[in-house]
Amino acid sequence: MKDAEKLRRRRLVFYENDIKDINATLEGLLKVSKAKAALLIDIDGHLVTKRGETASIDITSVAALVAGSFASTKQVATLLGEPEFSVLFHQGKQESIHISLIAERTMLVIMFDDSTTIGMVRLYANEVSRKIEDVLNRNASTEPELSSDLGGEAKNKLEDLFKGQ
Amino acid sequence: MVQINFAAREINCKVVYYGPGRSGKTTNLEQIHATSPKPCVGEMVSIATETDRTLFFDFLPLDIGKVAGMQVRFQLYTVPGQVYYNATRKLVLQGVDGVIFVADSQRSMMEENTESLLNLYDNLKENGYDADSIPVAFQWNKRDLPDILSTDELQRVLNPKGLPASEAVAFKGIGVIDTLKSIAGLVLDRLMKEYGGAAKDRQAAPGRPGTPAPAPPATTAPGQASPTGAAPPQAQRPTSSQPAAPPASGPQPAPFSPEVHRPAAAVPTQPKPGGPPPSPVVAQPPKPVIAVEAKPPAPQRTAAPSRPEPAPARAIPHAAQKGRGKADRNKWVLWIIIGSVVVITALVYVLITVMSN
Repeated sequence: MKDAEKLRRRRLVFYENDIKDINATLEGLLKVSKAKAALLIDIDGHLVTKRGETASIDITSVAALVAGSFASTKQVATLLGEPEFSVLFHQGKQESIHISLIAERTMLVIMFDDSTTIGMVRLYANEVSRKIEDVLNRNASTEPELSSDLGGEAKNKLEDLFKGQ
Repeated sequence: MVQINFAAREINCKVVYYGPGRSGKTTNLEQIHATSPKPCVGEMVSIATETDRTLFFDFLPLDIGKVAGMQVRFQLYTVPGQVYYNATRKLVLQGVDGVIFVADSQRSMMEENTESLLNLYDNLKENGYDADSIPVAFQWNKRDLPDILSTDELQRVLNPKGLPASEAVAFKGIGVIDTLKSIAGLVLDRLMKEYGGAAKDRQAAPGRPGTPAPAPPATTAPGQASPTGAAPPQAQRPTSSQPAAPPASGPQPAPFSPEVHRPAAAVPTQPKPGGPPPSPVVAQPPKPVIAVEAKPPAPQRTAAPSRPEPAPARAIPHAAQKGRGKADRNKWVLWIIIGSVVVITALVYVLITVMSN
């Protein structure tokens, strides 16, 4: 298989039904684990979906930085002879983050404070990861439908956006 | 990789600004951040050293609005330019959808440009990409400085296949948006092509190497970007050394050629008695001069031009292989022990049977 074909198959496509199921799963997780927020991001740092208290956080930046951190840690793991560290945990004085890899293409990021414990979060994160993996694998081979001249329209949009520059 | 989220009606693309240290990658992002309408651009995140040199990456999300019913977002990253940071540069390239190569037009920087471009090719390959399929656009930056190479020379050495290129003075914002427009179009065209979208004649327009388009691709002067992002037709093909364009029956993605000419043979470097002249202060971004001292030693720069392969990049596969080798050895030892135990047990059993008879 050519590299381009491999990349195409690994492309990240998420459908409305998938996201609905994932959102329901994340809401259940927040309820039982008492975590503050949960994000699903892809390994390239794009946000897939979010649930919980995220209004005060720059989620786009968090997603990019978490993905960078995960990629960096993966290289450290490789140097130690491990394929990857599939779970990361960053502990702060009040806020902490638990990150787990799902289906090798997305990451579940759970943000929590001292109203719950890392044990509780980890327990439910494992369970939720399996459910989300099932959802992601369910439609992995479905082709998306895009039927427009995206490139040309995007350039026109940029022309409008930066008019006069 | 492009993320298509049909639930949120979003398309997310990752564009990486690549190039040698101090070529103006971060300045490009700063200009986009400064000039974009505020609802469209998010906060710029910079992971930099104390001397403002990029350590891991700079990050800027740019939302260009709805295109064909989908919200299109570009996530713009820069890489650290210094040779020393190759491991992190390679990480930032993971999942890339398009690359803008920011070259420093100064004659004295040509070797660094070439080295960085070869390094880009190596890192794309090591990340599992077919380098020809990744859209690449070039930006010839610092066009306001004295002692710069002509765009023809830059094209000939760094961009022999004539991929889209723009002239720029990034710290003044000149040419920054032109380059962004070029790569945005290329990335989304490629996305459409992969999904079998309708054929677009635009893709065979001048500026696309690898197509039999009659007009040559070349550098877009600042402020002269055509609506399609292709080079203006009056521009001249910079060199006769360009490879013959293969016949194409349909739209072609923007192929990226690693065929960079070696600086020793191709760069018309002029000896400068008394060393290189100092760059005019007015033309440089306000970065502290002391930052140069923070640059880690780069032995490759003084050596004969060769494809740079810094140690961290090699160490990774080596360590993994070592780990696998050890595991295989342990497996064999285990099998030998099990075999020996079985044989000894059988011998003891036979011996006991013989003795009892």
